[in-house]
Amino acid sequence: MKDKILFGYTGLFDTPDSIINAAKKASEEGYKKFDINTPYPVHGMNKAMKLPPSKLGYASLVFGLSGTISALLFMYWTSVLDYPIVIGGKPFFALPAFVPIMFEVTVLSAAIATVLTMIIVYFKFPNISHPLHDTDYMRKVSSDKYGICIQADDELFDESKVQLFLKELNAQSIAPVYFDDEETENKPSAFDKKFIALLAVVAIIVSGSTYILLNKVVYSVPFNWMMNQNKISPQQSNAFFSDGFGMRNPVEETISRGNLPYQFKNKPEEAGLLLANPLAFTEENINLGRNKFDIYCSPCHGYFGNGDSRLRGQFPNPPSLHSEKVRNWKDGNIFHVITEGQNIMPSYSSQLTRQERWAVVLYIRALQRAQNAKESDIQ
Amino acid sequence: MEVLDYSKELSVIEGRPALREIDEIISKPLNTKPDKKYFIALLVTLSMVGIGAISLGLSFYYGTGLWGNNNPVGWGLPIVNFVFWVGIGHAGTLISAILFLLRQKWRNGIARFAEGMTIFAVMTAGIFPLIHVGRPWLAGYLFPYPNQHSIWVNFTSPLLWDVFAVSTYFTVSFIFWFVGLIPDFATLRDQTTNKIKKVIYSVTSLGWRHSNRHWQHYEMVYLILAGFATPLVLSVHTIVSFDFAVSIMPGWHTTIFPPYFVAGAVFSGFAMVQNVLIFIRKIFNYEHIITLDTLEKMNKVILFTSMLVGYAYGMEFFIAWYSGVQVEQFTFINRAFGPYSWAYWIMVSCNVLFPQLFWIKKIRRTIPFMFVIAVLVNVGMWFERFVITVTSLSRDYLPSSWAYYKPTLVDAGILIGSFGFFFTFILLFTKTMPVVSIAEVKAVAEGSQPSHGEH
Amino acid sequence: MSLPNEQIEYSRKDLSPKVRQIGLLLFALGLIIAVAAYLTEPIRASFMNLVLLMFLLSVGLGSLFFVALEYLAGAVWSTPYRRIIEIFAATLFVLPIVALPVYFNIHDLFHWTHLDGVSKDIALSSKSGYLNVPFFTVRIIAFFLVWILFYSLLTRNSRKQDAIKDQLLTKKNIKISAVFMPFFALTVTFSAIDWMMSLEPHWFSTIFGVYYFSGTVLAALSVATVAIILLNKNGYLVKGIISDHYYSLGALLFAFINFWAYIAFSQFLLIWYANLPEETFWFLSRWENGWMFFTIGLAFVHFLVPYFGLLSQPSKMNPNRLLFMSVWILVAHFYDLYWLIMPTFSKGEFVFGWMEIGFILLGFGILVLIFVVFSKNKNLVPVGDPKLKRGIDFRL
Repeated sequence: MKDKILFGYTGLFDTPDSIINAAKKASEEGYKKFDINTPYPVHGMNKAMKLPPSKLGYASLVFGLSGTISALLFMYWTSVLDYPIVIGGKPFFALPAFVPIMFEVTVLSAAIATVLTMIIVYFKFPNISHPLHDTDYMRKVSSDKYGICIQADDELFDESKVQLFLKELNAQSIAPVYFDDEETENKPSAFDKKFIALLAVVAIIVSGSTYILLNKVVYSVPFNWMMNQNKISPQQSNAFFSDGFGMRNPVEETISRGNLPYQFKNKPEEAGLLLANPLAFTEENINLGRNKFDIYCSPCHGYFGNGDSRLRGQFPNPPSLHSEKVRNWKDGNIFHVITEGQNIMPSYSSQLTRQERWAVVLYIRALQRAQNAKESDIQ
Repeated sequence: MEVLDYSKELSVIEGRPALREIDEIISKPLNTKPDKKYFIALLVTLSMVGIGAISLGLSFYYGTGLWGNNNPVGWGLPIVNFVFWVGIGHAGTLISAILFLLRQKWRNGIARFAEGMTIFAVMTAGIFPLIHVGRPWLAGYLFPYPNQHSIWVNFTSPLLWDVFAVSTYFTVSFIFWFVGLIPDFATLRDQTTNKIKKVIYSVTSLGWRHSNRHWQHYEMVYLILAGFATPLVLSVHTIVSFDFAVSIMPGWHTTIFPPYFVAGAVFSGFAMVQNVLIFIRKIFNYEHIITLDTLEKMNKVILFTSMLVGYAYGMEFFIAWYSGVQVEQFTFINRAFGPYSWAYWIMVSCNVLFPQLFWIKKIRRTIPFMFVIAVLVNVGMWFERFVITVTSLSRDYLPSSWAYYKPTLVDAGILIGSFGFFFTFILLFTKTMPVVSIAEVKAVAEGSQPSHGEH
Repeated sequence: MSLPNEQIEYSRKDLSPKVRQIGLLLFALGLIIAVAAYLTEPIRASFMNLVLLMFLLSVGLGSLFFVALEYLAGAVWSTPYRRIIEIFAATLFVLPIVALPVYFNIHDLFHWTHLDGVSKDIALSSKSGYLNVPFFTVRIIAFFLVWILFYSLLTRNSRKQDAIKDQLLTKKNIKISAVFMPFFALTVTFSAIDWMMSLEPHWFSTIFGVYYFSGTVLAALSVATVAIILLNKNGYLVKGIISDHYYSLGALLFAFINFWAYIAFSQFLLIWYANLPEETFWFLSRWENGWMFFTIGLAFVHFLVPYFGLLSQPSKMNPNRLLFMSVWILVAHFYDLYWLIMPTFSKGEFVFGWMEIGFILLGFGILVLIFVVFSKNKNLVPVGDPKLKRGIDFRL
């Protein structure tokens, strides 16, 4: 068997006074790597051990302030830049109303960061194994004794001297502590079969239950996501009405708000004579017309009104909009066709508002003018 | 007149127990099998949870129409219960953080338990906003994450502040509680002979070895956490009060609400902690750790906060009259003499009148008396939230929309369930973790600190 | 039963005459400016006089509160310098003198004293049962008597204890303090309502008393801290007051700075959010016409600067830094009172000039003189207090 590696020497004391004394002596002797283990914090020990003050306060200050600032910036970005909504007549950047959340985020980030800093930097988590664990010494200091441990890697460490030093302090049960053989020689067990099997089982359970939860459970009663509602959907029948339809027509002779009935129904000539385009030839109107034309008209008429459909014969190609006939139509005629439809072209009155239809008319005029320019246009 | 000796510091732990005895007595409930009484108690609380679960199941299946909420009283018992339970949670942080900052050593015996109660109370409270939205499985929308609606939560809404406040409060309380538990887990790890327990305690104690180089940072962290938890605990109930006070509802919109709610929360929380501690110290024989002196001090805090709450009641009434605003004046007269006057007078007598008995030392130090008064305080504080929520809503600006709110059986079932939920956790807590902090109690035991002149 | 404090190293020293000279100088300078102010702009001067009155009330009443609080909480760290706080509580005695000029100008300050105006105003006539001159007078006299009563009870027992060292007196004072607390809460609230909230008789806020309370605590505490640090430096106090004691004072200041900010923000947020015209006008008159920067400055002067100034541990333990912050907070309290009171006078524009500085000097002069007068022939340390030894030995 190999020699054990010495970690340090330990000694125990009975009273808080004697451990303070021991700590003072040890630091006076010049030991740097020694430690005091007590079941609870003993007052004045930091001074006796000559420890510099803890710097954890800085961690909480830095993380706390970054919490405050990031909360403020985030709320500014969401409420002012990304999706501004007026709420309760308050300005988008409603600073007083942001204060509570700024405060909470400050506390949250500072608290979490401070504790994590302590655990990772000072406790060396996750590397928490230590030779003192599971020793007699540890069992005593975690209950009612006060212990001192002088480590072997201290510059001044000398086995006999340390023993003598501890004896002079009247320490009891002075004993050496060694590194744990198993731990120093142990191989990582990450590729152990049992461990991998465990991982696999955990993975299957987690993914399976997540799948069932997200795809089955949340769609079962009562989690119906408002999809099944106690109402008549469009196209459903309803025995309540004598005609059996679920959908109802508006009461006759009524018009819905904002929708004037089209007064030239089935009267294309009159429409051509009496209707005039109320929109001016402005860039804004042309752009609107072009936008709507590209969406609603161009699939059949083509982007330039040549009748070159993109529907690849699924629907008969319409005639060109640049024909003599259409060019000589009044604005009202084109408007009438968009509103009422013609031959197999359906009505677009539900897709396009009045204003949009007139804008489309303007755009068609512009297209016609572009392909069959007059001579005066050249100058 | 009997006079204490003020020149000597009284020990908060009676009878000079040896440190090893403290270990033993605190870890005893963890090492012994629970007895019959424990299981009976657990059965009772679990059946209460069952009642709550059934009521909730019915509510989810048939909808919130099963509750008493009506129009105009849209905020019924769920909000009342939420505020009540968040309030209960406040005493824990107050004891563990504020009294720590004030260096009140008597807190050491009760802090752990009170912190545990905070966590369970906040968990209980958290149920109510979730169920009150009707579709708790959509609660994820409360958090500001880039979602499929490409819209953000409303950061100016006090209800959203609540989400942040309560979740922060829960997280920080939990961290605080866990940090306090680390040394105790280490002590238990070194004592136990059971292999499974040893593994659990080894993991949870994070390799703690009672090193003073760790204690130094540990104490710093504890101080910092206490420093953060103190304004946090104020902010939580303040934000709960904002839920009401930022509105223009008469009786809700009044500037004293924030400190008034905080005082009320501490008040009810202390009463609840005192109630439960009376049982704990008796059952586990902690009488010399949680001493009668400690209970008396808690009663003084209850008396003090009772007067704060009384001050707020009086101030609200006075300013309602002073303001000259008719609706304000009506609201308060309606509270005291309207259809809900019974609730109002229960609230006033339980919160302001009965606690005044604590002026008498004899009552402060007699367990049955203080127990009954603290129970009444909790009843009163529950009714306070009821009065605030319901009276203002049931008779708002528009007399034609006035209505009387009556909770239904399902409401009552959910309330019972919340108590069961809370006490089930308390019962499990007492058997799985040290309900008194071993390290902190040792630190204030007599003779555990170096004598003077040494530092 | 008595316990001698044998190991206490304290011998009474008379205050250096310099202190009196400084006090007299400040007082004289302030008084001259105040009189000049009354002669040139009497209304503005009486408003500033009100600021001064509330400032002195803060110090006096806050100090008395602290004395009572120490007894009630059983605190020991503050026992070695409780006597200094007791001496500052004597500021209560000068209040009637400072209040007289205000009282004589009551019609210029308080709109509700104009009966013809009140009778035309429904809101005001509905509260005239409370806001009328006779009742107002009765209240301020009654409050004053209550304060003097508790002041004399508490300090008499404390001084008696110096000689006979009886522990029974501590017990008595604990009881007196307990009775005092409800009276304190009510008087501080209604003083704030009477003297400050009723300047704008239409405005109301339930938290106003608590707001003023947070200010009184800060004022009293910072005055005491300044005195303790200066006296301890010059050896007037008992040996053994060290950084741990300073830390506690600083921590308490820090806590109440936060408390003030909490109360102030709560009041503002609720009124800003609900946006009711009968409440918001009070804040608007502190926002418009040049007041905006003063109001924003309040957040900095009264919260952010002292907050970061007292945040770290060394800043509370180092006497010089703590001294600076205490003086700062004292001035900040003046700033706060100015912000509460003066907008009623100068709604149109923000004013600050030689008059205001004169009243500040006068206030500080009065405080110094009060200390000089009331500390005469007194121990500056409660030598008979049973908690004294524990207080000196106090460590964090």
